[in-house]
Amino acid sequence: MASTSKDTVSTNVTSQEDIDDDLLPGACPESVLNPTDSFEEFETEMSSNPQERHSSLTTKCSTISEIQSEIGESSKDMKTVKSSDDLKGKDEAMSSSASSSNLTDQNGDGVDSDKDEYLQSPELVNKEKHVFILSSAGKPIYSRYGNEDKLAGLCGVIQALVSVVEDQNQDILRSINTKDCKAVFLVKGPLILVAVSKSNESETQLVMQLTYAFNQIVSVLTLTQLNRIFEQRRNYDLRRLLAGAERLIDNLLIFMEKDPAFLLGAVRCLPLPEKARENITNAIISTCNKIRDLVFAIMIAGNQLITLVRMKKYTLHPSDIHLLFNFVRSSESFKTAESWTPICLPKFDATGFLHGHVSYISEDCQACLLLLTVQRDAFYPLSQAKHTIAEKLEKLKCIGAINDALNRSKDLPTTNPLKHIGIPIIRHFMYKCKSTAQLFTSDPISLDRLQDYRMMHREGGDITVKKIEKLSDIDYVKNYRKFCNQIHCATVPAKFIFRSNSQDTILAWITNGFELYVTFDPLVEKEQTKKAVDHLLQWIKREENRIFIMNAPTF
Amino acid sequence: MWNPNAMDNRQMEKRVVIGRVRPTWARNMPEAREDDDKSDQEVGVMPHSEPPSPTETWEQQNKQEDKYDVFGKVMLLGDSGVGKTCMLVRFRDGTFLSGNYISTVGIDFRNKVVTVDGVKVKLQIWDTAGQERFRSVTHAYYRDAHALLLLYDVTNKISFDNIRAWLGEIREYAQDDVVIMLLGNKSDSGLERAVRREEGQRLAREYQVAFMETSAKTGLNVEAAFAHVARALVAKANPVDPARLAVRAQPSQEQRSSCPPCS
Repeated sequence: MASTSKDTVSTNVTSQEDIDDDLLPGACPESVLNPTDSFEEFETEMSSNPQERHSSLTTKCSTISEIQSEIGESSKDMKTVKSSDDLKGKDEAMSSSASSSNLTDQNGDGVDSDKDEYLQSPELVNKEKHVFILSSAGKPIYSRYGNEDKLAGLCGVIQALVSVVEDQNQDILRSINTKDCKAVFLVKGPLILVAVSKSNESETQLVMQLTYAFNQIVSVLTLTQLNRIFEQRRNYDLRRLLAGAERLIDNLLIFMEKDPAFLLGAVRCLPLPEKARENITNAIISTCNKIRDLVFAIMIAGNQLITLVRMKKYTLHPSDIHLLFNFVRSSESFKTAESWTPICLPKFDATGFLHGHVSYISEDCQACLLLLTVQRDAFYPLSQAKHTIAEKLEKLKCIGAINDALNRSKDLPTTNPLKHIGIPIIRHFMYKCKSTAQLFTSDPISLDRLQDYRMMHREGGDITVKKIEKLSDIDYVKNYRKFCNQIHCATVPAKFIFRSNSQDTILAWITNGFELYVTFDPLVEKEQTKKAVDHLLQWIKREENRIFIMNAPTF
Repeated sequence: MWNPNAMDNRQMEKRVVIGRVRPTWARNMPEAREDDDKSDQEVGVMPHSEPPSPTETWEQQNKQEDKYDVFGKVMLLGDSGVGKTCMLVRFRDGTFLSGNYISTVGIDFRNKVVTVDGVKVKLQIWDTAGQERFRSVTHAYYRDAHALLLLYDVTNKISFDNIRAWLGEIREYAQDDVVIMLLGNKSDSGLERAVRREEGQRLAREYQVAFMETSAKTGLNVEAAFAHVARALVAKANPVDPARLAVRAQPSQEQRSSCPPCS
């Protein structure tokens, strides 16, 4: 287990072997999350040839039908699964005329020369990162900025680029690099996704973001439906089915740029006293353990996981949880009423929908409870279960504990960890426990700041030269991107990086058990940082029960 | 915060489920006895799940937060963006959601009790997402609905043209005797109007459904529309056929069927 760091890296290399094996903060034998690293996956995504890629998208067995057959209702529910995906067919008659009013007719927008001018319009130029999604027939589906209708010409060019490389060279177009700009392409199933970025994100990181965007679409439609639509009609306008889901992709893109959870493929937990979390978990288990078709009960607040109770044998992948976070944050309507909605979790089962009862736990608490089942008509039992859980939490005073943590009450050690740890040279750190895929940073993005960021983004997303006052979590995370990339590099991965300059000193370190990124004051000595890191790890170890979910409860 | 809609639903459906065996765990529960149909229906609505532990839930049911005489499920339907959620919020909270467009995801559930002609009617209102991809979810709930409010936007001709398709769906999925009401929303729009009032009336007449023009913004006819639905539900439930309203009478019948004449 001892971490060796013999690989040489361009930067400084030290060997740090004095961390004893049992000090792996946050590690626990069983995890609620599936700790598979997404990075390897994205690497293969980038290297595999077209055939392999295609097969990875089609050959899948359905976890949902597996669960259904396990609870002994296969025959009935197999039908359910099918019909739940059956949005087309009967609806076709209606939808052909129902295409909602906000989709303007492509022809109405004038001639080609206007479109070329449009590419130069302030809506589109000088953006840090564009994302375009189109069908493999070249029809625009989504553009992060501007109006995708007016980008039909651009989409045609993208489609041509992709297919020329594919047809003539039997190869895959992965990226185009210019002096200050990267264009990264991802062909996935019937869709082409492109990111055009001037940020410091690596190709792998951009591919990961595009994969997330793809998964977001799958989560709305299921892969089965997506594939079928385009098998039936190659030139289908997918925007019709995605109406209302654009904001999910918008928000996801923003979310990915600033939350290290995506960078590290890990989930952030809401720091809670061990006892409070245990009470919450037990309230859920005792209420739900008789509901046989419930697969996951997940409580979240402000993009942080409070608890996750699962059906035995099944775990959730962090990226599915990220999609759930995004889904809940982006859907205002959940705040006002109990909702019942289909949702597909692509890593869990891309072929079918789970059905979710989604509701906030009480009016004065931002914690949201998701009860995910394979049963499409289980609303009433789940609604009742939710109310029972809410009452229990009220009785056990858990709501107060959640609110304290969310409001970052001053008394909590996790509210201002750096102060609590007491090493002044540390400016920021982020820590991922690999075995449980959980994450902790010294300065979690508060909800208000997220809101500010979003507003700022809505106004532009333009590249601006920012005056540096006090760096926020977002800025630190941006700085870590480069190091994260070196550490996860497929060919020559670094294990330990120490870089010091007049701005700051950054240390990045990966072992079998964890990943750690720390920003220190500029020009500190290596010895000093080593001591500080030891101290830091001990602190995390001491607080691990509060900042991580240390068990893997099941119903 | 306890929201007894799950129970209400049962009470209503009770009429359909007759002669079901009471679950053993409920037989000796004094709380359950008070209102037999609740525990009974537990079996009816949750065919695939065990009922939750009785001790925890019955207490809450006994909270008589809102008493009512008639219960009905009302579903709001129509294209996305016609104002279904706004309509409901205006009706429930008396406010108008201006500014941001909140798109509904799946189905939202809310309750409200209205009094018409001295009869208290509890409406469980299902607000549906208008987007095409949610159709399969909403279809599943058509059959349970007692009344449907079908909305179009008077400023959006397409939403009006789609009403025929919606009515076709309703015929296919909903109960035959479902109460249907056609509403032309955003009637405050003045010059932007694209669908004349007469067109709505004509369509409603053709399909023999009630019709009103409403405005969630000004509140015009919002109360009236729901009151109309409530009245229709009362009429439907009323003693033309005494068996229908006999919610209280039912348990004795069941008692008989579940436990053979002892003593």
